[in-house]
Amino acid sequence: MGQRRGAQSVEWTRRIRILSQISHPFGVELRTVLSPNNRLFALIALVLALAGLGPAQEAPAKPKRDLVIWGYAFTPDTKGQEAVIREFERRNPDIRVRALGMGAGNMDPQKLMTSIVGNVAPDVISQDRFSISDWASRGAFRPLDDMIERDKNSDPLTPVPSQYYPAPWAEATYEGKVYGIPTSADNRILYWNRGIFRQKAAELRAAGLDPDRPPRTWNEVLAYSKVITEKNPDGTLKRAGFMPNFGNSWLYMYAFQMNADFMSKDGRRCTMDTPAAETALQFMIDGYEILGGYERAKAFESGFLGKENDAFIVGKVAMKIDGDWIINDLSRYGPNLDFGVGPAPVPDDRYYHRGAFANEKDTFITWMGGYSLAIPKGARNVEDGWRFIKWATSTEGRMLEMEEQRKWERRRGRAFIPRQAGSREANEMAYVKFKPGDPKFAAAVKMHLDMAKFGKIRPATFVGQTLWSEHARAMETALYKKDTPKGALTKAQIAVQRELDAFFERDKYPTLDLSIPAKISLGVTLLLIGGFLFWFSRLKLGRLERSEAKWAYLFISPWLLGFFVLTLGPMLASLFFSFTQYDVLNEARWVGFRNYQDMFGADKELVMKALQNAFYLAAIGVPLGLATGLAIAILLNTAARGMRFYRTFFYMPAIVPLVASAVLWIWVLTPDANKGLINSFWQVTITPWMNVPPPGWLQSADWSKSALILMGVWGAGSGMVLWLAGLKGVPSSLYEASSIDGANPNRQFWAITLPQLSPIVFFNAVMGFIGAMQEFDRMYIMKPSNEGTVGPDDTMLTPVYHLFKNGFAFFKMGYASALAWMIFAIILLLTFTQFRLSKQWVHYEADK
Amino acid sequence: MTPNLLYAVGTLATWAGIVFALRSVYFLVRVLMKSPSDSAARLQGSLASSAIVGAICFVVGVAVPVAANQPIGLRLPLVWFVLPLAGWFVVFGLFLVFARLFQAWMAISPEDRKQKTGAAGVWFGLSVLGLLFLQGTGQMSYEVITGGIPLTPTVLGGLLLLSVGTMAVIAVSESAARSRGIAKSVAAQLALIAGSVVFGLPFAFLVITSFKEDRDMSSANGIVWIPKVSETVPYMDPKEPLYEGQHNGQTIQGEVIESRPDGTVKVDIFKPLAIRGTTFETRMSDLKPVPRMVNLVSVTFQGKPAKGMVVSDLDDGRKVVRMLEPASVKDKEQTFNASAVENIRHEGLRWENYTEAISFLPPEAAGGLVYLRNSLILVVFSVLGTILSSSLVAYAFSRMRFPGRDGLFALVLSTMMLPAAVTMLPQFLIFRSLGWIDTLLPLWVPAFFGSAFNIFLLRQFFKQIPMELEDASKIDGCTYLRTFWEIMLPQIKPALAVIAVWTFVGAWNNFMGPLIYVNSPENMPISYALNLFRGERSGEPGMLMAFTTLTVLPVLGLFFFAQKYFIEGVTLSGLGGR
Repeated sequence: MGQRRGAQSVEWTRRIRILSQISHPFGVELRTVLSPNNRLFALIALVLALAGLGPAQEAPAKPKRDLVIWGYAFTPDTKGQEAVIREFERRNPDIRVRALGMGAGNMDPQKLMTSIVGNVAPDVISQDRFSISDWASRGAFRPLDDMIERDKNSDPLTPVPSQYYPAPWAEATYEGKVYGIPTSADNRILYWNRGIFRQKAAELRAAGLDPDRPPRTWNEVLAYSKVITEKNPDGTLKRAGFMPNFGNSWLYMYAFQMNADFMSKDGRRCTMDTPAAETALQFMIDGYEILGGYERAKAFESGFLGKENDAFIVGKVAMKIDGDWIINDLSRYGPNLDFGVGPAPVPDDRYYHRGAFANEKDTFITWMGGYSLAIPKGARNVEDGWRFIKWATSTEGRMLEMEEQRKWERRRGRAFIPRQAGSREANEMAYVKFKPGDPKFAAAVKMHLDMAKFGKIRPATFVGQTLWSEHARAMETALYKKDTPKGALTKAQIAVQRELDAFFERDKYPTLDLSIPAKISLGVTLLLIGGFLFWFSRLKLGRLERSEAKWAYLFISPWLLGFFVLTLGPMLASLFFSFTQYDVLNEARWVGFRNYQDMFGADKELVMKALQNAFYLAAIGVPLGLATGLAIAILLNTAARGMRFYRTFFYMPAIVPLVASAVLWIWVLTPDANKGLINSFWQVTITPWMNVPPPGWLQSADWSKSALILMGVWGAGSGMVLWLAGLKGVPSSLYEASSIDGANPNRQFWAITLPQLSPIVFFNAVMGFIGAMQEFDRMYIMKPSNEGTVGPDDTMLTPVYHLFKNGFAFFKMGYASALAWMIFAIILLLTFTQFRLSKQWVHYEADK
Repeated sequence: MTPNLLYAVGTLATWAGIVFALRSVYFLVRVLMKSPSDSAARLQGSLASSAIVGAICFVVGVAVPVAANQPIGLRLPLVWFVLPLAGWFVVFGLFLVFARLFQAWMAISPEDRKQKTGAAGVWFGLSVLGLLFLQGTGQMSYEVITGGIPLTPTVLGGLLLLSVGTMAVIAVSESAARSRGIAKSVAAQLALIAGSVVFGLPFAFLVITSFKEDRDMSSANGIVWIPKVSETVPYMDPKEPLYEGQHNGQTIQGEVIESRPDGTVKVDIFKPLAIRGTTFETRMSDLKPVPRMVNLVSVTFQGKPAKGMVVSDLDDGRKVVRMLEPASVKDKEQTFNASAVENIRHEGLRWENYTEAISFLPPEAAGGLVYLRNSLILVVFSVLGTILSSSLVAYAFSRMRFPGRDGLFALVLSTMMLPAAVTMLPQFLIFRSLGWIDTLLPLWVPAFFGSAFNIFLLRQFFKQIPMELEDASKIDGCTYLRTFWEIMLPQIKPALAVIAVWTFVGAWNNFMGPLIYVNSPENMPISYALNLFRGERSGEPGMLMAFTTLTVLPVLGLFFFAQKYFIEGVTLSGLGGR
């Protein structure tokens, strides 16, 4: 196959050669036009040749069915998963499994959504369990009950609820139907550094604390933290005792311990702003207060990127609450770390069973999460997918996975730590079989195993994603002290309730046939074409004029076609959607102006924030970028020697793929002065000179936009090429004349260069502003992985990002469309203002 | 006035003094050189005025902070104002008010004066608005951060030498060449070199990091700029050796992970990387043991420093070390805690980061070549489509008359301002109905319909071509298409080159497109693949940086190859070929 394609490309090049030698119908020899660009052909030929390249696909003896699984990737850390897949293929020789990471299953639901809508859904997906209800409520997943029922007596691998812990099973169930089979089931416990406790033993004892055991209650953990935390003279952290949201706890963990519910039992009301949740949030604030505030703790924390530099492993954080995945990292990167485990500390009243907790049965509580395997709607291979799910989630499959992973680790000279599973049976068997040799690791695994019974789950609701985001936002807002805990939680509660109301009220709105926008678009198009033809035929034009006009229409026809099919039609459709409530998977409902009302009502705060951010980026970033580009261009224009070299050098940042530069800049901007390029210089210059500690850049609400602007200036070279072209185009006679008149270079710049370049200044400014409004990619890649907000305290949220989130993470296509129209309106306004102003200062040659 | 503000005034004066001092040096050298082209009196005048102003500035700079109880001492004062964005706007606006008023005062014609005064009024109004806004949001506060660069004798001497030297070189070369050109280019060269260093540093950081071992990613002594690699020695493991054998006609290296009584074994492939991790079955007799590479380490053995090699890693993290040196303890073995074993390292590049990064790509990607192919397809078709369609459309809009032209062009402009997000979802539905999901088609086919952005740009360029050219060709009886193709298109080649560059970069960078349309590795362009890779391997910076470097290299290579066509056309022939 590959060879044939290669041969084709050779044939293609040959044909182009022949073509270029014969006369072209337009009366122009193609060859004369293109000959200076022969190398362009070489380039095309190269591409075509490469097109023939690819995985050599040998024709299989018997056609196999492809089973596409998302959320699995083949890496050395998932050797066990690979073995499970290979064994599945061995048992089912007619199936070929194609497993892909895709980032699916995590917090990035957009990929799954577009694939379901586009009818290219995977057959099986490993999905973060808390979001399953969200998907299920929209009919995006296939209920599995019928198949469980059918197979439970005939196939011993069939999963049944009795094998599982109740919490994970319930989390993948929505309205009584099972949508996913749990695989992993992580829960969180307290890890504490015995070495540090021992080091601080005297001080701990002096404070009335036992250095040989972990804290059990909230007050205790704060007391321990106060003793253990150490600070540098400049107030930055040297070592943190306890960081409430380091590791994995969020507000959920502490709120669960307070018995806070986030949703009412019937699932119709959000109850985020209970006093219980407020107390939990206040505890987190208190915890950060000991460390000198959230901002400072964040900056400290972000200095420890990468598993081998984990702040707990390197002894920079003495206590953390984390899931069982951390044991593996501990054994690999800190095998000698002397640590202990305990249940996560609980409110004092709960521990002593008094007050509100007098009748509470469980002393300790943990939060449980994890993944499930599910079958998306539109999967082409449901039976095979189900067969795979049965095999992968069975105790046999789980055991094989662990066995193979253990073999692999052992050959690498590493210990194997069994991970927690949703299946009680598999979990208990795994502990017996794979109990780590080192007692401290064994104790950690045992603690997780024991706590699994006390796991609580995030509410299984169709607004799970919103609930998660709003909970995280409320937490950040309160921790940054932008609002009181009460205020932040109330705001979050209102936001979630709005979603709930919209869902339950939706029956009140009429459903709509989506072929309507298509028909309207078609009708409008036909009407326009008809109207145009009529109008054109009635116009009084001369023969030549008419011919010129016809040619002109022919010339602009590619754009016209594209305009109707790819712009006007979709625009009308989008306008139509903006008046609907539409989640793509279900029929749209007409809601009138509700979306627009929300924009300036319930969602006003975030919309305004997004606009402010964009305005900030544009107002500072665009002029700065233009000035940098112009400065470089003028320098290059002056110094002819080495021009090629410099030009390439300055242009390089602009040509590098954005993802690459974003990945690079995440590292360049790392707050830790021992790692981040910028802060390592800051540390030796600005810190001693101005007494300002290195900023937290992307991790800090105050600096994240400056970080983006800085990165933008680095990429200013793209405009430089145009500046250069413009500079070369300024007639030298102007300069000569002016220097005879005695103008100095400074004067020449303002009087000649800039006016001559004004079309380019204008063009760049317009495009820069429009671009800033629509920035998305950089923020998407560079925002710290904090799933609730876009950047710290939403400081990296742009209008288009807000739209993307609403459209693809919350499935609010209608609202997203309304946002799109608002963005459009603002951009239009901005640009027309600029055009109006341009009349005064832009200089065009041809307008004279 | 607060002491901080006084300090700020002092700082500004000091820096102004430095500028004037440098200026004086420059003129001093010119006077001493007695350059004949300039009138000596004028030079001396400039020298005197610079020196006097500089001296005054220095006096103010030193005196004011003393008055503010913040003596400057031996340091270069620095100051920074912390203002909200609107605050900066007000400052900028007020500056412009004064600048315009000054211009009005200097203006020659009354008309000009009126215009400048008007502009000053507008900016004054805007500044007042800004102030009101500040008051409204309650951000009417500012903070002054003061500090300074301590001037140790070495720093002071170095800086003095550098600046005076630079000025002298400029002045000397200027008078020697008797033209301003050379001096300007010397200064420009210096600035460009400095700029290149700043712009290139992140790249250097990228490449160096891609060769570092994980342990060097962070160190207490700042960034590690010279990567080191651990030394290894071949070691024939008697228990679990590496085996070499044949599989599907390839020589492979791997480990035996399962032996069966009948003499067959299961081999886990190690090399070549493309099939790493797959297993196959063979006969033990077909395999031959080969040595594996193990780390060379230094340990303390029997109270003395010794050199050894790690022959085995134990489950609990301890390492078994076999001694190599000194000879007296050769071949003795002992088990050490991991912390007691120090790898012997030398300066070098860890190429394994690259091979490992590639080995983690999905098998469908053929070691990343498939990603490269997809990106190239995307780029070439996008560039071709954009150039052909946009230039044709732009030509019609700029050079031809037809009813509705201005209205249609306004439409073009407004689509340029149309956020892609507006049409994103409906477009997705259209491409879905065409069955184009999970192909590259939705990413490049739209390029053939012209883009408003480029039409707008090309129209600007077309408009700058003198009308005479076209008229001449019309008189010669050329058709419009021919005029376009033969006369007009060559005129805007430089602009086309710019568009080619932008389209190239745009297509190569396209992130949201693949994010929405492409699902399988066979169809993924390289930039999107990098993002997936980042998600999976963010914990291993060496590998991540290696893959990032790999994604950057092809495009840089292509850029070097194609820069003749792209940039040189722009810069050498200039705008519109004039």
